Amino acid sequence: MIGMLIVGYAQGIAGARAEMGADEIARKAYNTAYYEGDDGRATVEMTLTDRQERTRKRKFQILRYDIKDGGRQKYYVYFREPADVREMVYMVWKHVGSDDDRWLYLPALDLVRRIAASDKRSSFVGSDFTYEDISGRSVDLDSHELVSSEGGKYLLKNTPKDPDLVEFSYYLVSIDKETMMPVKAEYFDAQGEKYREINALEVKEIQGHPTIIRQRADDLAAGSHTIVEFSDIEYDVGISEDIFTERYLRRAPRRWLDY
Amino acid sequence: MFAKIVRWCFRRPKPVFAVVTIAVVLGVSQFSRIQVDTDPENMLPRDEPVRLRHDQVKEEFGIYDFIVVGVVREGSPQGVFQAETLNRVYRITERIKKIDGVISREIIAPSTKDNIRQGGPGTVVFEWLMAGPIETAVQAERIRDEALDNPMFRGTMVSGDGKALAIYVPIQRKDMSYRISREIQAIIDEFSGEEEYYITGLPVAEDTFGVEMFKQMAVSAPLAGAIIFLLMLLFFKSVRLIISPMLLAVATVLITMGLLIGFGLPVHIMSSMIPIFLMPIAVLDSVHILSEFFDQYRIRHNKRDALLATIEELFSPMLFTSLTSAVGFFSLSFSPIPPVQTFGIFVAIGVMLAWALTMTFIPAYIGALSDNALRKMKKGSSKEDRSGPHGAIDVVLKGVRTFSLQRAKLILSFVVAVILVSIYGISQIRVNDNPIRWFTENHRIRIADRVLNEHFAGTYTAYLVLEAENGKDVFKRPDMLNYIQQLQRYLEKQGQVGKSTSLTDVVKKVYMELMGGEEEYFTVPETKQAVSQCLISYENSHKPDDLWHMATPDYDKVNLWIQLNSGDNKDMSQVVAQASNFMRTHKPPYKFESYWAGLTYINMVWQDKMVVGMLKNFLGSFIIVFFMMTFLFRSPYRGLISMVPLTVTILCIYGLLGIVGKDYDMPVAVLSALTLGLSIDFAIHFIQRAREIHAAHPGWERASRFLFQGPGRAIVRNALVIAVGFLPLLVAPLIPYRTVGFFMFAIMLVSSIATLIILPAIITLIPDAVFAGEKKKFVCNCGYCVVMAIAAAAAVGYVLRGYTFAGWDITVFAAIGVIAVMAGICAAAARRKFCITKKEDQ
Repeated sequence: MIGMLIVGYAQGIAGARAEMGADEIARKAYNTAYYEGDDGRATVEMTLTDRQERTRKRKFQILRYDIKDGGRQKYYVYFREPADVREMVYMVWKHVGSDDDRWLYLPALDLVRRIAASDKRSSFVGSDFTYEDISGRSVDLDSHELVSSEGGKYLLKNTPKDPDLVEFSYYLVSIDKETMMPVKAEYFDAQGEKYREINALEVKEIQGHPTIIRQRADDLAAGSHTIVEFSDIEYDVGISEDIFTERYLRRAPRRWLDY
Repeated sequence: MFAKIVRWCFRRPKPVFAVVTIAVVLGVSQFSRIQVDTDPENMLPRDEPVRLRHDQVKEEFGIYDFIVVGVVREGSPQGVFQAETLNRVYRITERIKKIDGVISREIIAPSTKDNIRQGGPGTVVFEWLMAGPIETAVQAERIRDEALDNPMFRGTMVSGDGKALAIYVPIQRKDMSYRISREIQAIIDEFSGEEEYYITGLPVAEDTFGVEMFKQMAVSAPLAGAIIFLLMLLFFKSVRLIISPMLLAVATVLITMGLLIGFGLPVHIMSSMIPIFLMPIAVLDSVHILSEFFDQYRIRHNKRDALLATIEELFSPMLFTSLTSAVGFFSLSFSPIPPVQTFGIFVAIGVMLAWALTMTFIPAYIGALSDNALRKMKKGSSKEDRSGPHGAIDVVLKGVRTFSLQRAKLILSFVVAVILVSIYGISQIRVNDNPIRWFTENHRIRIADRVLNEHFAGTYTAYLVLEAENGKDVFKRPDMLNYIQQLQRYLEKQGQVGKSTSLTDVVKKVYMELMGGEEEYFTVPETKQAVSQCLISYENSHKPDDLWHMATPDYDKVNLWIQLNSGDNKDMSQVVAQASNFMRTHKPPYKFESYWAGLTYINMVWQDKMVVGMLKNFLGSFIIVFFMMTFLFRSPYRGLISMVPLTVTILCIYGLLGIVGKDYDMPVAVLSALTLGLSIDFAIHFIQRAREIHAAHPGWERASRFLFQGPGRAIVRNALVIAVGFLPLLVAPLIPYRTVGFFMFAIMLVSSIATLIILPAIITLIPDAVFAGEKKKFVCNCGYCVVMAIAAAAAVGYVLRGYTFAGWDITVFAAIGVIAVMAGICAAAARRKFCITKKEDQ
């Protein structure tokens, strides 16, 4: 789950890299970014900075549970700050081949709502990351092309199979050959102009898993950027699947959140 | 000394021509450096607090000036919400995004806006209102229903009746709007459908006006020149003769404009009017000289003597008519509006230049003409004395003379009546302006403006910013949001505001959708936490930044988007008054400060400043002109009498404006300076010549016969030439040009009538007032000194005030000082019987 805020693919097994095709690279990077371990948790601090250098902070915890590597997955996002939105919960059931299920719990209104979106390109709580950056863009949605494999990195060009569902015409991803971790993503619009960029600022190995602990998204047109920092990262903590249910939205699973 | 210069010029025409030519060439050579400025915002200095605030608000809330593209489809019940129309709008929007200078991410269109709606039980959906091209009528209907359900879109992006929608195109700079609007038009032209497209918005109006103004200038000024030329040809019958005033006028305009550009000043809309103001003034000067010269030449048969006699007679009236015009315009330099200052100063320079050229170029021109040619011209101009236009003028003048001498009392009572009516009219004057109204009714921008404001809540925007005193998160508080809503409802009820949009509207919409979409939840939730959670939910949309157009991320400031369906100043100022009235009478839960921004507001500010400033300038220059007249005629009484035609003219014209109901707007305000400068001219000539003729032929009855020949004819001729010459402006496609045309006509008509009828009537009743100097010991009594002193003091005070060198206190002291000194001189002079001695010498 760590590094999940990067668009990515492919499972983290090293080796036989030279012979890998573009699709395989994409898949391995995707798995490295979103499916390390069987579950995981982390504390996330997000700093949103706009063109006028005005900043806002968000602090939340993320719990992740993988049903199948590269496949179904569940997320539980529990907000700590700002104080006004404390205890707010955002929950996702990620599916393959069908739309994800998403819930929002608003404690001040004592309200659970399912959120549907025609696409996954909407903003994640006002930041420069999209919902799709959080849970990963499925490898099957794009066709992949290996542009270069120089400088210790693979450069993949990803073109959406259904361009009507997304705002970009294609995006480039750089993947570190060593760790198979996607470290940079650049988005291009219909005019071929780059309008968005995501960079891994710091990658560390935690419990043997390559993990992004700091990254930054830039909205070039808006002049805003968001930096996220991960702490208290832990893999294979033994989170049980049953907390990812509506029942636990109103009653946060303290056991996994107090650490 | 001037006689020397005139004689020198007369003897050496070639060097004079050479100098003038060089000056013109130098002037023209500057033209390539021209910088054009069509932005009315520059009517305010760049560092003007209102402008700084406007810029700050734009920056802080990410607001841009925008062009409004309206799409209207009447005639079918679905209106614009049909797949084919929406798809065209979609494609057009996509194309507009690519135009250079358009801020594509901030375009407001169905395909660029995110919507929040119900998506089945317990589900909310964030999705683009129109994600892409659609196919079915059902989809089109859905888009309509959703858009109308969203308070952010209804009345702004879609019209309540579904017949129209609007694309708001934000642009980087206002001066791009004309070009961008043309490019948008070109894109629209590629698509054809049942719907009509309209482009409007203040930036387009302003920029388009600027562009067309310059185009008009290239048509109107030469056209007026051509007509003046033809009229003079009719009067003087000699091309060779009248070519000189025309050359002089052209030289004056070219040198003045060259000077302006050479100084690196941008040519603003105002300065583009300089040629059209200078032309009549320059022509008038030289026509006076030529008229008189021919009268003299007929007597003396020697061009040198005739010229010198002419100059001797006309020197001081010419100087004073020019000085008064220059003063009238120069007073504009006291205005707080930079383009008006530039305009005033350069017209004043041009006026004095025209005078200098009249005194040098015309003598040189006459010097260059052979006696033969002159004789031919003389024949030409005397032949038609009894027939043609001159015959008619003479007949009329004769009638006028008889009438004004015999019916003096009747005339004066009539004048008093006219003055009273005019004063009533002036009291009815409505100060108002609106850049859209600078176009004629049928101009496409006017039509677009009308159509779109019929369908939408208003295409004129102003921003009202509320800034909390206690900082952060104040505007997340439900009571504060409800207060804002009350303010909005109050404003909307008053009639000028079509719609307003605020953070409250967003919160209510999101809350309602979160709670299941029922109308009863269209309200502000009860706690600050609930508000925050609604807002953060909204931030999960595709366009979370839309929030920051309405609030700062700290929620210490909010921005209310106010839509007006009229750009009239008076409406904007009413809205400002309404808002402050509400905030005064309704105590807010938390203290805040409020201020306005937006183009509609900025326009109101500069136009108010301009109008008030103009009024001050006008009163000031009125006093200065009076002072000059008193000085010229060496008597306050004559000074006062000479002001009569001017006063009547001004009262009449402005009274008429009030009665007819035409707004007192920017062009009208600027033209007051022209009115002052031009309408005193005839009186100066008339009184000066009256005194000279009276000295030679004592007895008013007798003197008036001569007066109504040469001088009277010159006045009528001039009035006709200018009035008729500017008539074509009345059909110009831009309203300010029509205003200029009307004013030229009215000034000439009224001031010539006032001069030729009222002045003789006054003289008939109290001849001493004008001719006293020749008969009685009138000159240096204390009344004169005191009046002079007060006028001088007022003038000094006015100048100091105008340039804000001094506050009122210093001004007052300076004025008192001047009065004291003048009175002292007066007393000393009176004791020494200086004036009386001089009088007795005569």
